[in-house]
Amino acid sequence: MKLSTYTLLRRSLSEQQLSLITRFLFGTSLVLIIALSYSYNEINQELVNYSEKVNQTQHVISGLNKLSSAIYETTYHADSYIFLKDTVYINKTLAAIKVVPEITKKIDSLIKDDGAQRKRLNFLKEHAGKFCDYSERLSRPATLINPGAVNALYKRKNEEIASMIKLIGEMNKLEDQLMYTRLQSRDNYMQQVYRYNWIIMLVAVVFLSSAFVLLDRELRRNKFYRVDLENKIENLNRSNSELEQFAYVASHDLQEPLRKIRSFSDRLVAKYKSELSGEVFQMLEKIDNSAQRMQNLISDLLSFSRIVKTGTEAKIINLNTCLSEAKSNLSEVIMENKASIHSESLPSVEGYNSQIVQLFQNLLSNSIKYRHENVRPVIRITHRLVDGEIIPGVKPSHQDIQFHQIKFADNGIGFKKEFADKIFIIFKRLHARNEFAGTGIGLAICKRVVSNHNGYIFAESTEGEGSNFYIYLPTESMLT
Amino acid sequence: MNNGQILMADDDADDRFLVQAAFEDNDLINRIVFFEDGEQLLEYYIAEENQDAPNLIFLDLNMPKRDGREVLRVIRKNTKWDDVPIIIFSTSNAPDDVVASYQLGANCYIVKPSSYEELKDLVLNVHKFWLQPKAISC
Repeated sequence: MKLSTYTLLRRSLSEQQLSLITRFLFGTSLVLIIALSYSYNEINQELVNYSEKVNQTQHVISGLNKLSSAIYETTYHADSYIFLKDTVYINKTLAAIKVVPEITKKIDSLIKDDGAQRKRLNFLKEHAGKFCDYSERLSRPATLINPGAVNALYKRKNEEIASMIKLIGEMNKLEDQLMYTRLQSRDNYMQQVYRYNWIIMLVAVVFLSSAFVLLDRELRRNKFYRVDLENKIENLNRSNSELEQFAYVASHDLQEPLRKIRSFSDRLVAKYKSELSGEVFQMLEKIDNSAQRMQNLISDLLSFSRIVKTGTEAKIINLNTCLSEAKSNLSEVIMENKASIHSESLPSVEGYNSQIVQLFQNLLSNSIKYRHENVRPVIRITHRLVDGEIIPGVKPSHQDIQFHQIKFADNGIGFKKEFADKIFIIFKRLHARNEFAGTGIGLAICKRVVSNHNGYIFAESTEGEGSNFYIYLPTESMLT
Repeated sequence: MNNGQILMADDDADDRFLVQAAFEDNDLINRIVFFEDGEQLLEYYIAEENQDAPNLIFLDLNMPKRDGREVLRVIRKNTKWDDVPIIIFSTSNAPDDVVASYQLGANCYIVKPSSYEELKDLVLNVHKFWLQPKAISC
């Protein structure tokens, strides 16, 4: 389980590469599909165009056939009248003649783009006109009386027929050729349309399936991240409760032997004072001091670990009230050292009152403790609003929010620049115990309090010239 | 002077010894009955022959078998000895323990002092407050 989680979480590509590849795939697929659809459309239009042309050619051919039929019909009726002398054929001839210009007109409209055919059609029309004229004249009873005229007209009519048949034959041949090439083009485009259909489908399938694979991978990865996160939360909860247990053990079991060491050495001194030499007395005192120091360390460690557990709910608290509470807790020290504390008006924030009081108290007592021997301690507290992005080492999620910057500036002994981070480490001390008392827990607690409030704390100082402590607390509450 | 009987339950022999010593060093003569755990104290409490209420009970919180909380609960639930002052005498200064003890009916919660001098003074003061017969006024 562990191993498979690991291999699944491990990426062969970086997040950025993956995102680039996804964009590239998406982009190219989109461009391909659009381009293919466009060409498909073009080809389709061509196909429709050629289909229409094929249709047109077919109409022309059928028009020419009809023209031939009309000519034969006219000739048949006219000849029947001449040879049978039946007047019935006169009207039939005239009706057949009427059809001829209608057909030529129709053909004319179909081939108006084709110059060569038009020329032929014009000739054809001319011959047809004459043919119709002769046929009509032959159908007159007056003409029939004169055999010489009939003969001449009949001959000329037959000449016209021959010319027309020739022209129609030529036109038919040309249209047949056109038909052939147009059909070929149409089939060609049809094949292309078919091919394009396949290509577009293929590209769409590739695009869809790669999108599916990527999405599926991300979803699976997401699931494993979630499981991983849940495990981590569980581990965190477990180690928190272990820490609480440790605190309890530390308070009880570790303090116990120390208490005994102190109590018994104490009683030894009390009971056998008169019998003990000065040296023994001193050694016993050292034992007592060491034990007491260790007790202090343990109890400081405990109070530090208790700050992890907030217990109470966060409330809107006025920092001015917290500051005055801290000052009143320190009133004795402040009086003793004749310290003066000047503060601007401070904002209200959402937080844990007792912790903030502790924070201010520790900072104030720190500044008073590390004072110049012959200078009255002066502490100035100022406030301004700043953007998250100016805070050094700010979390990415805090960059866009505003922070209250609260600055504690003192005129104490300060410290060397390189210790600016170290002073916040638990039990870290910059001075010997005989110079300044204490275990070194104060600023570590400050840091813990500020982190509990999703804030930041920094110190800057020039040795001998006082220190500045900057607290950054978010203006928007992020405590749950 | 003999100022009444004290019961003390504590699993720590050293602490029992130190409390005894503190009484002696203050020249106070009390009969102190010691128990090594809560169960022993409860056996003593139940026994027919111990009907006389003690003047004070020192009770450690964390003991094997039955701890101080259980002893406190039993004594405060019954009528027997219900007016005997009970002092919780523990190393723990955890707020939870303090609150729970008072809720269960402890009269006083004392964190075991870390020096013998302190213990001696404490015993003297406890004695003055809880064990010396008071003049009845009104």
